[in-house]
Amino acid sequence: MNNEIVLEIKNLSKVFKIYHEKNSTFFEFILSSFKRSKKFEHLDVLKNVSFNVRKGEMLGIIGSNGSGKSTLLKIIANILIPDSGQVSITGKVIPLLEIGTGFNGELTARDNVILYGLLLGFSKKEILNKLEKIIKFAELENFVDTKLKNFSTGMYARLAFSTAIEVDPDILLIDEVLSVGDESFQQKSFKKFLEFKSKGKTLIFVSHNLEQVKKLCDNVLWLKNGHIELYGEPEKVIKGYLDSS
Amino acid sequence: MLCNVIGELWKKRSLIFALALNDIKLRYKNSFLGFIWSFLEPLLILTVLFFVFTHVIKNTIEFYPLYLLLGLIIWYMFTRSTTMGLSSLTDNAHILQKIYISKEIFVISSCLTGFMMMLIEFAAFGVFLAVFSFVPPTTIFLFPLLLIELFILSVGISLLSSILNVYFRDIKFIWQVVLQAGFFLTPIIYSFEMFPANVRVILELNPISHFITTAHDLVLYGRLPTIYSVLYVMLITSSIFVLGYVVFRKKESKITEEI
Repeated sequence: MNNEIVLEIKNLSKVFKIYHEKNSTFFEFILSSFKRSKKFEHLDVLKNVSFNVRKGEMLGIIGSNGSGKSTLLKIIANILIPDSGQVSITGKVIPLLEIGTGFNGELTARDNVILYGLLLGFSKKEILNKLEKIIKFAELENFVDTKLKNFSTGMYARLAFSTAIEVDPDILLIDEVLSVGDESFQQKSFKKFLEFKSKGKTLIFVSHNLEQVKKLCDNVLWLKNGHIELYGEPEKVIKGYLDSS
Repeated sequence: MLCNVIGELWKKRSLIFALALNDIKLRYKNSFLGFIWSFLEPLLILTVLFFVFTHVIKNTIEFYPLYLLLGLIIWYMFTRSTTMGLSSLTDNAHILQKIYISKEIFVISSCLTGFMMMLIEFAAFGVFLAVFSFVPPTTIFLFPLLLIELFILSVGISLLSSILNVYFRDIKFIWQVVLQAGFFLTPIIYSFEMFPANVRVILELNPISHFITTAHDLVLYGRLPTIYSVLYVMLITSSIFVLGYVVFRKKESKITEEI
């Protein structure tokens, strides 16, 4: 690991509007404009969050449900826009927030991988070059031209995971998806993460599996109600987290 | 600014095409029968309209079957593109919430799907031409320009309506009503020549009527559109496109939260 900072987050805040009653049609909108009542409340999802991630670092993010972990990842991935604060990123970020985003059961594994790769921002040539590796890592060589709807959940997850990791991002964001596939595939992905790290790639992942976080991460960030409760060595942060609950 | 936008889209062309092609594949379910089915609906409508408008109500339009089919194909292109474009953001909400991506990609690829379906239907139109042993006039070479302009108009309308649809989910139904009415206000089954001049002036405010009339002129009758008509359509197309684009850019960063 070197000291080059690839992700810098400064005073990040995000507020969500929680609607009491959302106008989802045009007529409701016209009707409701005659009523004067407060229609939504503000919820501070992230409050003044700042931290840095260095190149090759593995950062674990822990916290109870609703503490802002996923929102933080979405902001890093540029899916959500923060209300205040800065995010500066060096390199290509790939978010793996869900297994198989955009996968379509009616299309074959090959078509899905190509589409997924294109959605992640790679050129068709880059994906075609990596197609074989992706399929091999997912152990799905015999099912390249099978429609995805005939895949088991495990096969589906393996394909998605392999695509995300083989497209070779600089920073990979992972949200609770490490527990895909069977034992041997988990071992394989674990090894892949270490290999990924040794190549100087950065990994940020959200997990409730504290054992895994302890084994993998260099630093851990504990989010509580949208602010950083504790940040630092995995042992220390996880102990604090466990003691508090 | 415009150059940057086009450059960005050019880089994303394989994604736009892949999305549109997958859409077509799914529509036709990879089967020849599915492909045939998608022709049957327009063909049935064509037959009924042809029967009604040649036997029940007499008309004097030259090459009426071709006139009807050409108008229908163009009308279908417009309705399909704008209908799919309208719901393109909400339909792909699951992707927009998980991956960062230029959101207009979905709008454009929806219109492209409509465009590709139109090209497939033009293959059928070619068969019709052969059956009637009709040789189109040379003005047909200008026809692709008209289709590209229609595509741009469809994208412009879809940029606007897709954003509206994120906030108001009933825009879809309102648009369906507009299209229903539009079908009868556009010279697809009849010709504007049947109307007195003062009524025509009002009917010709509908930009789609110009597309259909110009298509008839270019492909069947070897006539060029009037300068007035060309300028009017260009003005409408470019202003709707710019309006759609500006609204889209303004609102796109909010979409993932509202969708």
